[in-house]
Amino acid sequence: MLEVERITFSYGRRRVVDDVSFDIAPGEIVALTGPNGAGKTTLVKVLACLLMQEAGLVRLDEVDPLMRPVKYRRLIGYLSERCPLYDEMTVDEYITYRVRLKGERNLRVRRRVSESLEMCGLGDVAAMRIRLLSQGYRKRVGLAEAVALHPRLLLLDDLLAGIDAGQRKKTAALLSAASSRSAILVTGHELHELLPWCTRFLVMSQGRLVASLRSGEHDRAELLRLLETHMAGNIAEGAEV
Amino acid sequence: MRTVYAIWKRETRAFFSAFSCGVALAAFIAAYGCTFGVLLRGNEGSVLQIQSLWGVSVALWLPVLSSILTTRLFSEERASGMIEMLMSSPVREREVVAGKFLSAFTMVVLALLVTLTVPLWILPRMSLHVQGGVSVLAFAAALLILLLQAAVWCAAGTLISLFFSNQAAAAACSLLLCCGLPAAVYFAVMAWVPALRAEMAWMPLLVHVYDFSTGLFSAGFMMLYLASAVFFLFVCSKSLACLRLRG
Repeated sequence: MLEVERITFSYGRRRVVDDVSFDIAPGEIVALTGPNGAGKTTLVKVLACLLMQEAGLVRLDEVDPLMRPVKYRRLIGYLSERCPLYDEMTVDEYITYRVRLKGERNLRVRRRVSESLEMCGLGDVAAMRIRLLSQGYRKRVGLAEAVALHPRLLLLDDLLAGIDAGQRKKTAALLSAASSRSAILVTGHELHELLPWCTRFLVMSQGRLVASLRSGEHDRAELLRLLETHMAGNIAEGAEV
Repeated sequence: MRTVYAIWKRETRAFFSAFSCGVALAAFIAAYGCTFGVLLRGNEGSVLQIQSLWGVSVALWLPVLSSILTTRLFSEERASGMIEMLMSSPVREREVVAGKFLSAFTMVVLALLVTLTVPLWILPRMSLHVQGGVSVLAFAAALLILLLQAAVWCAAGTLISLFFSNQAAAAACSLLLCCGLPAAVYFAVMAWVPALRAEMAWMPLLVHVYDFSTGLFSAGFMMLYLASAVFFLFVCSKSLACLRLRG
């Protein structure tokens, strides 16, 4: 489904993503983790068509974002790390606007909006202005917008930040359900929270992909230890450099 | 077209809920009212027609209004980070630019229509002398050239707002481009190249308004304004694409 081949990206002379390759199959929930400054957000931005890679290839269902950007963007759902929203709009208005912007036909817009509001537990705040929402609810609005059109690939940057424990469980359940239709790439540092529902873990450090671990191949404790070892090792390596 | 309409609708609603937009519109109408009053009083008994006075008093403040209205179009989105969400959506750059430009243009058109009520509706009821002299067609001609000028100012303002995440800086730069630059170029030419004075007499934008309001249409000037607006929007669309690639 998603193929990433030898992606490289630099901000000026500073190489932020360096020769990264991986793929994601349908139904997979992949966690992209690593220390701060590892290049996770930049990589997600490249995959979300917000940055153009210097080298390498991205393909989603054989669609190349550089050749057919509009078609590619129609296949993805993206939740930004900062989760920006239009504060003056109500939740319902915002999701409706975003669904229309994604080119959904008028007859289906209402149904899509209702579905995504219900899926993300936003029914009770649908008529509320976004500026009045807490950080957790804002994340849910961003998520509702990302999943609204059942995209083929969901890119969720720092999804769990600012969400309380109860909501994290609900989010995990939501994403497990969404994975039947979409491949999911989620970034974050919350290994304990990600372990139960992610099928694969990619560890990045200093722009490079340093480990790829499947949850089915290790028991949870061992996987956690391996991930922590990789991350700690790379933090130490980064400090030495 | 669906996406252009969606962006236009959101932006237009945002204008109505933005405090700065209300202040800008109120200030524009007040400035126009004062200018129109002064021009009316100063031209009592002159051959100048009321549509020319209206056109000139609106044209003076139009670049200022357009600059202020357009500053928030992209700079607000850049400051809030919403530009990322917009750019990750399946919309083309030209659709984004068109939707945003049209929303600012809609607000300017609304402001123009409000100013029209004074010479077309209020004044004829106050003065029988004016009642006989008002021609809707003459006003339509003046409105046409004002709309063309507004399109240029809005397109330039939309382009400027793309390069700033600070609205005040965008407004200042836009004002400089829309008001300061044409005036500076004109006065510089008039001051330093006296030989060109006769040929350059057409340059002040107010003269175009006066000409159109008296029935002197010029297809060349209409094309010039249209081409300028399209040029600014084209550059804006391409700059947005570059911005996406550079991050």
